[in-house]
Amino acid sequence: MAIDFIDVVQAIIDGLLFGSTYALIGLGFTLIFGAMHKLNLAYAASAIAGAYVGLAVILMSGLPIVLTFVLGPVAGGFIGFGVYITCFRYMPATNMLAPLMASIGALFFIDEIIIHATAGSPLAFPAVMDDVFLEVGEYGFRGDLIFVLVTSLIAMLVLLYVLFGTRLGLATRAVSQQVVAAELCGIASHRTNATTFAITGVLGGLAGCMAAAAVGVISPLLTVPITVKGLIVTVIGGLGSIPGAIVAGFAVGGFENLFLLLFGVNQRDIYVFLLLFVFLVFRPNGLFGKAINRD
Amino acid sequence: MLELDDLCKHFDGIRAVDGLSLKIERGEVFGLIGPNGSGKSTTVNLICGVFPATRGTVTLAGRNLGGLPPHRRLNAGISRTFQNIRLFGELTVWQNLWIARRDAPSEETGFMKNWFGSSARIREAIDETLEFAGLAGRANDLAQNLAFGEQRRLELARAVSARPQLILLDEPAAGMNREEVEDLKQRILTLKNSGITVLLVEHVMELVMGVTDRIAVLNFGKRIALGTPGEIQGNDAVREAYLGSPDVDIAEGSRHA
Repeated sequence: MAIDFIDVVQAIIDGLLFGSTYALIGLGFTLIFGAMHKLNLAYAASAIAGAYVGLAVILMSGLPIVLTFVLGPVAGGFIGFGVYITCFRYMPATNMLAPLMASIGALFFIDEIIIHATAGSPLAFPAVMDDVFLEVGEYGFRGDLIFVLVTSLIAMLVLLYVLFGTRLGLATRAVSQQVVAAELCGIASHRTNATTFAITGVLGGLAGCMAAAAVGVISPLLTVPITVKGLIVTVIGGLGSIPGAIVAGFAVGGFENLFLLLFGVNQRDIYVFLLLFVFLVFRPNGLFGKAINRD
Repeated sequence: MLELDDLCKHFDGIRAVDGLSLKIERGEVFGLIGPNGSGKSTTVNLICGVFPATRGTVTLAGRNLGGLPPHRRLNAGISRTFQNIRLFGELTVWQNLWIARRDAPSEETGFMKNWFGSSARIREAIDETLEFAGLAGRANDLAQNLAFGEQRRLELARAVSARPQLILLDEPAAGMNREEVEDLKQRILTLKNSGITVLLVEHVMELVMGVTDRIAVLNFGKRIALGTPGEIQGNDAVREAYLGSPDVDIAEGSRHA
């Protein structure tokens, strides 16, 4: 099969647009890692669960479909907070393995709840602006993907403002840099960590809705692949790096779609993992990674 | 003001602080000295709640602080600096002070205003603190890009920014030259004049002797002397503990420590 240059560019465009959801997922992993130096493996599962709750409320109440993209993130925030309380809050600060295993437990626990609640079958997820198609020269932009991109970008801007422009964000960053000093500056680290989990949960819920809307269905089968993609994005961007997660999210989205075009759906993920492998060998700290030091 | 009663801290059988009782009066500059490992830093950590005491109590203005986590003790009126500098390196100088700022609930009401807002009055107060620390020109630089001396001053400014009643200075003069020590002395006196009580843990004797009202000397976690700088300098037991011989002059002999 001959592949045109136009096809290649179009695939990358679609991938970049969809990559904004990966960027949101990667941001969640990286923010929690930055705050606590621990991985929350239940994060992508709570993102999908948030989207499910949003969808369920809309289906049962008959509210306008667009509200899914508000209720999903809200539910994601609560689920994120719940994961913090159950898997992180009461674990010894120096024990890295206990919260990691607990969050894996939470991942499968959430997964099982979804499977039981939906009898394991995928549900149709509403898309927004899917009747829009923007043509620029020989290239096209899918309306639903533009919606995904724009919403994600707005979420990122709000996040960056909170993190860099408000005392709340400065407090969470202070805790991640010097936890003892932060507490002695009057910052309750448990509370800022809980806030970080809730904020990332909101991002995750949004990302879950976006991913499901772009694909058109939501299914419990999404949780593990999105967990893996999110982790790949986080590692490529550099653990704990905010710009890294954003850039890597778009990059992985773009490459993934390019691999899909070139090698087909069966081999796509092999090449995504190859990309990860290349980074782990040649740039193990990621794009924006840095040496880690704190208390 | 601050009262320590029979304070003990044991680490795996080592008695870092062993039955320490002290009373610091409001508005005084109180020095805590002693050889390395005598329990000074442990005492500071017990006062601000980094770890719990094995036994004994810490009372601030009549209020027992036992069991309060560090951030509550800050709200109770205790702030501190660190011997090994612990600034928020990726925040600007100004943000380091903003973070530490604590304002009475009546002045800054509500979650939203506390975490998302910033009033003109607070900005002015932070600028004043910067002026006090000689950092006015560096407000927008990242803390990690400051020179060593400036970082030390920012440590002090951050502790002052919390508007404490009691400020704990943990070896603030470590690594400073004579001129910087003189500046620090003036700043400590400024704090004293504004009504803040100061607990100074320090090895640099010209600072301790020049600025404190009273001094307690620790050795092996116990208090071995208490008195004015003049009394301490003339105390044989203190010289013995510090330098192994009662014939050495403290003010001259221990700058290296």
